[in-house]
Amino acid sequence: MELVDKIIKGERAAIAKAITLVESSKDTDQQISRQLISELIKKPGKSIRVGFSGPPGVGKSTFIESFGSYLVSQNYKLGILAIDPSSQITGGSILGDKTRMVEISKNPNTFIRSTPSRGTLGGISMGTREASIILDAAGYDFIFIETVGVGQSEIVASNLVDIFTLIVGPGSGDELQGIKKGITEYADIFIVNKNDGELKMEASKTAADYKSALSYYKKLDELEKQVLLVSAIEQTGMEDVIKTINQIIDQNKLKGIFDERRADQLEYWIEEEVKNIIASDITNRLTSKGNIPKYSEKVMKNEMSMYEAVETITKDTLEQ
Amino acid sequence: MTNKSNNGFNTWQKSFEKETKKNFSDAKSETDEGIDIKPVYTRDDLENFSFVENNSLPGQWPYTRGPKASMYTNRPWTIRQYAGFSTAEESNEFYKKNLESGQKGLSVAFDLPTHRGYDSDDDLVMGDVGKAGVAIDTVEDMKILFNNIPLDQMSVSMTMNGAVLPVLASFIVAGEEQGVDKSLLSGTIQNDILKEFMVRNTYIYPPEPSMKIVADIIEFTSKEMPKFNSISISGYHMQEAGADNVLELAYTLADGMEYVRAAMSKGLDVDDFAPRLSFFFAIGTDFFMEIAKLRAARTLWAKIMKNFGAKNERSLILRTHCQTSGVSLTEKDPYNNIIRTSYEALSAILGGTQSLHTNSFDEAIALPTDESARIARNTQLILQNETGVTKTVDPLAGSYFVENLTEELSKKAWDIITEIEELGGMTKAVKAGIPKLKIEESATKKQAKVDSGSRVVVGVNKYKNPKEPSVDVRVIDNNRVRDDQIKKIQAIKKSRDTKAVEKALANLTNAAKDETNLLVPCIEAIKLRATVGEVSKALEQVYGRHFAKSLSVSGVYGKHFEGDKEFMKVESKIKEFENINGRRPRVLVVKMGQDGHDRGAKIVATSFADMGFDVDMGPLFQSPKDVAKDAIENDVHAIGVSTLAAGHKTLVPELMKGLKEIDPKSKIIVFVGGIIPEQDYEFLYENNVSAIFGPGSNIIESAEKVIDLISDNLSKE
Repeated sequence: MELVDKIIKGERAAIAKAITLVESSKDTDQQISRQLISELIKKPGKSIRVGFSGPPGVGKSTFIESFGSYLVSQNYKLGILAIDPSSQITGGSILGDKTRMVEISKNPNTFIRSTPSRGTLGGISMGTREASIILDAAGYDFIFIETVGVGQSEIVASNLVDIFTLIVGPGSGDELQGIKKGITEYADIFIVNKNDGELKMEASKTAADYKSALSYYKKLDELEKQVLLVSAIEQTGMEDVIKTINQIIDQNKLKGIFDERRADQLEYWIEEEVKNIIASDITNRLTSKGNIPKYSEKVMKNEMSMYEAVETITKDTLEQ
Repeated sequence: MTNKSNNGFNTWQKSFEKETKKNFSDAKSETDEGIDIKPVYTRDDLENFSFVENNSLPGQWPYTRGPKASMYTNRPWTIRQYAGFSTAEESNEFYKKNLESGQKGLSVAFDLPTHRGYDSDDDLVMGDVGKAGVAIDTVEDMKILFNNIPLDQMSVSMTMNGAVLPVLASFIVAGEEQGVDKSLLSGTIQNDILKEFMVRNTYIYPPEPSMKIVADIIEFTSKEMPKFNSISISGYHMQEAGADNVLELAYTLADGMEYVRAAMSKGLDVDDFAPRLSFFFAIGTDFFMEIAKLRAARTLWAKIMKNFGAKNERSLILRTHCQTSGVSLTEKDPYNNIIRTSYEALSAILGGTQSLHTNSFDEAIALPTDESARIARNTQLILQNETGVTKTVDPLAGSYFVENLTEELSKKAWDIITEIEELGGMTKAVKAGIPKLKIEESATKKQAKVDSGSRVVVGVNKYKNPKEPSVDVRVIDNNRVRDDQIKKIQAIKKSRDTKAVEKALANLTNAAKDETNLLVPCIEAIKLRATVGEVSKALEQVYGRHFAKSLSVSGVYGKHFEGDKEFMKVESKIKEFENINGRRPRVLVVKMGQDGHDRGAKIVATSFADMGFDVDMGPLFQSPKDVAKDAIENDVHAIGVSTLAAGHKTLVPELMKGLKEIDPKSKIIVFVGGIIPEQDYEFLYENNVSAIFGPGSNIIESAEKVIDLISDNLSKE
């Protein structure tokens, strides 16, 4: 494929077109994109994929602008996939991430792509994984995947990356309640942003709170979770972040966790894909047989119970 | 006995209902501000006031009726026309001509690079030099600007907020070198940075250091320049950006309170500086509302200043400059603008303004010509000399309607002011982006009313002129202006004492690290011929440059079009597009160069998204190269360029070049919207622009054109 060569050469327009293909809902595009991805995975790059999540308003994009500037100043090539949460149920989206990434968006060593989330699991499932394969093949050292921390999206996002980072704000006691057990399994690094000005005291206190909460939930065989203090505005703490990322990656590689994790993720995505295909197949069958309206009417008329209806429809649908 | 219960009113109500076939209680019309206007007002409507006092007199508490007892009966308002043309030489000529024909004060417009603290030779400002105002790089430019204009006799108003320090310093040094001591300089510097963060975006530093600079200037002028107004607290640009009158009034006064606090934090007594605070409001086409706004502003300010502990009566009095609304001007049927401006001017006068700028009718298209500027000035001369409006002070006092409206506006504004105060004041509110978002919401609503036809704009969405007149506009050769400025900078840099300049700039940087008043080291640096850009950079080293976060409203535009056929047509075209192409049409909306007026871009973004486009918003102040990279990485179908400062002739070709450089086969189409003189259309089309949308374009029609263009373009592949 001509596109493959162009991507590997790092041609910006080709990378962009390829991402469009993998995000497209058009059948022919999906076919081409499957072919494309099959070719690209034969030529893997060396990217480290880092996930950034966190509640709205903690300054994720501002942090990425700040941290990204630091990375490109160290001559790293950086690809950013931003899942923009501002999409509406009806209508299109306003993708405004780049208004907060002024400096890095200018840099020739970055590639920044925003994707409207469309409301599905933080929008990650469709194309984000493939987009990161494209950026990997194109030679980016780091691939950032930015998502908004809502609901299930963290789990999905954590299955896309080698390191998963949660960004929180000072005084985020509420989030601490919310993180409880689940998130500690997904996040490797906790970054407390806004360690500046009036909020400095509060930020240190929050970091301490996180540290103690995390040690409480720590499993025996697990690496210690890292809690870092940064200020995106003042660009402080950035060396710590990259140092920590590199440390974790090195350790994980040494212990085989790095590859193990990628293997687990592969399983996850295969399972997801299979489920998706089955689900859409089942949905099609359901619609074509028209059982749902038929049996709901019976339930409404008290001719059968809901459970009987469910059982009958399931049986009928699964029958070949 | 009240009116409503008496027979007279009942009889009137019956006749009204018979004539209109409507219940009296339903016969209200709601204004943009959410105020219900009744078809009739009576003496009852003068009761239960908490702000307006019915028996007050002009020049007396609470100053609703005017800051002075005699008002225009003694001396009419000052005709003050805002102008600046590219170079100091041209502006100087223009000023002298105006002064000869009866103008009493000068008002200087600066170009965008000067506002943002860049020298004309900076690569970032390629397309902006000399556009929308005069370029000032050093004190030498300032001296040319005021050549043969005695600064001890002429009051000079400068619209400057971002680069206030180097510009005010240049003014002071220019005066000095003309032989005029700074204590004799009179005029106003706008110095209102908070509204920049809300609407105009010509800031340099983040909000906190910017507020420190404002306070420094208030402190310095209150001690050293007794005839100079240290700040002009401006609502004008809020209304221009789409704020309704309540928002404009409330945010302006809340800004004022924040400046008072900033000055008091310098240890100044409120009465030391408050008499030199001045205001600046926009006057739009809602005739009585605008009158009421000025009356309400004075009423509220008196109350606010009393709360600050002001003892001097002059501290309690709000004095204001007004300008007729630029956003009410239309590109279509442009002579209508003369009529609009005349009514707006009358509103400002009946509201009791101290000075007035009337817009030229061609300002929706370009900078005014000599001829259009003359008509604008004559609008005021006719009001002063022919209509008799100067003969009676506050002639609408006692009008049931106007007094009631004044009270209503005061109440609504007071509620918002109280909210802002509870948030911790305007600096905090601005940092959180709340006022900006509210103004954008209001702007989007207004646009939707015009596009849906529920608000009539003559010559635009009704009574269109079948034969659009063609109007000659002023043309600026941007490249020539820039080259000239660059030559001047180079010459000065050669002849000055570079070591001394460097030392002065280092002093300035150091001063920024502590609480020293920055104007003093600034004057030193400027005297030694440091440039505006160098001074700004010296401070930037400590403060950094501010980049605004961009928040957007959504759903506000679409809400006005539920069930609208045209709207649904575009929606369904977009759905069809998505089915065919596997994604929605994607458009990048950008501003390029130093032009920060983003109301148009924001309205386009939110309304296009409401119709179903995916809209990428670029950051402000992007270079064409940055835009090209952004567009290609996100694989957008089209780029919409919003331009209001005449930079398009340089910036659009650069963008086209940038796109081809990254992707020689780029199929991204480019459309341009904003203030574009018809003379430039051909040039833009020749540069492969696909569509041009001037002021007053209907957004739904524009969106339909864009989706059609994108579809055509794709089908060519």
